[in-house]
Amino acid sequence: MAVSTVYTVLSLNSACSISKPNKTHLGFNQKQLVFFKKTTTITTTRRATTVITCSAGDTVVIGLAADSGCGKSTFMRRLTSVFGGAAEPPKGGNPDSNTLISDTTTVICLDDYHSLDRTGRKEKGVTALDPRANNFDLMYEQVKAIKNGVAVEKPIYNHVTGLIDPPELIKPPKIFVIEGLHPMYDARVRELLDFSIYLDISNEVKFAWKIQRDMAERGHSLESIKASIEARKPDFDAYIDPQKQYADAVIEVLPTQLIPDDNEGKVLRVRLIMKEGVKYFNPVYLFDEGSTISWIPCGRKLTCSYPGIKFSYGPETYFGHEVSVLEMDGQFDRLDELIYVESHLSNISTKFYGEVTQQMLKHADFPGSNNGTGLFQTIVGLKIRDLYEQIVASKTGAPLEATKA
Amino acid sequence: MASIAGLTLKTPRILAKTSDSPKTKAINNFSFPWKKRFNTQFPRLVAAAAPEGLSEKVAESIKTAEEACAEDPVSGECAAAWDEVEELSAAASHAKDKKKESDPLENYCKENPETDECRTYDN
Repeated sequence: MAVSTVYTVLSLNSACSISKPNKTHLGFNQKQLVFFKKTTTITTTRRATTVITCSAGDTVVIGLAADSGCGKSTFMRRLTSVFGGAAEPPKGGNPDSNTLISDTTTVICLDDYHSLDRTGRKEKGVTALDPRANNFDLMYEQVKAIKNGVAVEKPIYNHVTGLIDPPELIKPPKIFVIEGLHPMYDARVRELLDFSIYLDISNEVKFAWKIQRDMAERGHSLESIKASIEARKPDFDAYIDPQKQYADAVIEVLPTQLIPDDNEGKVLRVRLIMKEGVKYFNPVYLFDEGSTISWIPCGRKLTCSYPGIKFSYGPETYFGHEVSVLEMDGQFDRLDELIYVESHLSNISTKFYGEVTQQMLKHADFPGSNNGTGLFQTIVGLKIRDLYEQIVASKTGAPLEATKA
Repeated sequence: MASIAGLTLKTPRILAKTSDSPKTKAINNFSFPWKKRFNTQFPRLVAAAAPEGLSEKVAESIKTAEEACAEDPVSGECAAAWDEVEELSAAASHAKDKKKESDPLENYCKENPETDECRTYDN
């Protein structure tokens, strides 16, 4: 018999909420919260549950939509590195956990909210991209709980075995990142996100990357890789792609325009599409905000090797929204190219001169460290840090205002 | 009860062609994926064998996908089969990267920095 009484605790931490114990469809009990209040008339039956104290509720939730990359992806590692500290899987837990935890950040993989495991999906004939294979109710409840400072028991989807493993405890961090295929699909979850990013890889680049990844694998051939992409495309276009319009920032990766007929996918053209009017987010710009600029840094002051670097910046419309687009085509060869470019970008939210370059160098072995993907991922990481600091500052400012009034 | 017993007997047969000894532990979990498992020991054997075991899984899943799609190229089964191939390929490449990075001494020292082998002297 579950304890059904719920007390709303009116304390300083008014952002706290106590959720009634819910049985998820998997039979996992969420942590029961029982605040034992000693009064003369009311007594509650105390069950053997842990009393969870709420944190200040200042968790910032970031959503990242990316195809087949979960927690271990380069973007996440760059992002957590900007905040300081290395992100690692939880110690002592399931070795196949997809979660990454650092001092300030926790990254969870939305694959953990699959309602159907691999066999289940095979039987029903649905891909993981299909919303029917995901439990959005549980996702919403748990993300809301974390945002309010309540720890949750989150299921684990084991990518190696294809099964759903016993849950792990996730404690609310300062920055909570949800990475996966559907962070912005459900409207309720979308409301909880403080900032959202969509990683849009064009088909040609995706094909080139998958070839690099899979050709060494026994059993794979060019045809099988192509067939795999083609088979997933309908579901991808129907369910994942539309999330682009909701994202606050889109990183679009396209083949380069500097090399005619290039199909290796080594040199990339990357566009950072930033929505205008997002609270606490000021888009990066080149030289003059709101104007259209085309810039080739290579010349007298800077010598670059083939194919060089080309930047452009300008306002555009994207799915009916006003956006600013910063684009980089080409790759960096030397450190001084990177620092030169950084010194000409504005609104990058660095704390000191050369921070972007330093971050890029720290992870020089990561893929994309010499082109726009690494650069824009690092810049987005810095913007998120800036966003977090602004949110925290506004939250600490507000109670002071209330006490003054 | 009989039906449950029937289930458990059936699944190993389906998996017979794919099962090796490291995977027998996984089969026990296979029949009731929705049940909470209080495993004190996670099937580490499967994870340790990841690259070889995973490579085989990838190769088999490709064969299954090609068969499924030969019958009906636009069916849900075809898409689900290729999605599985994609998932396994991703897992295989992640496992390969993890294997490349892991240095036994570094891993040990992360957990036990106070031991003699791991002490660092700054001055």
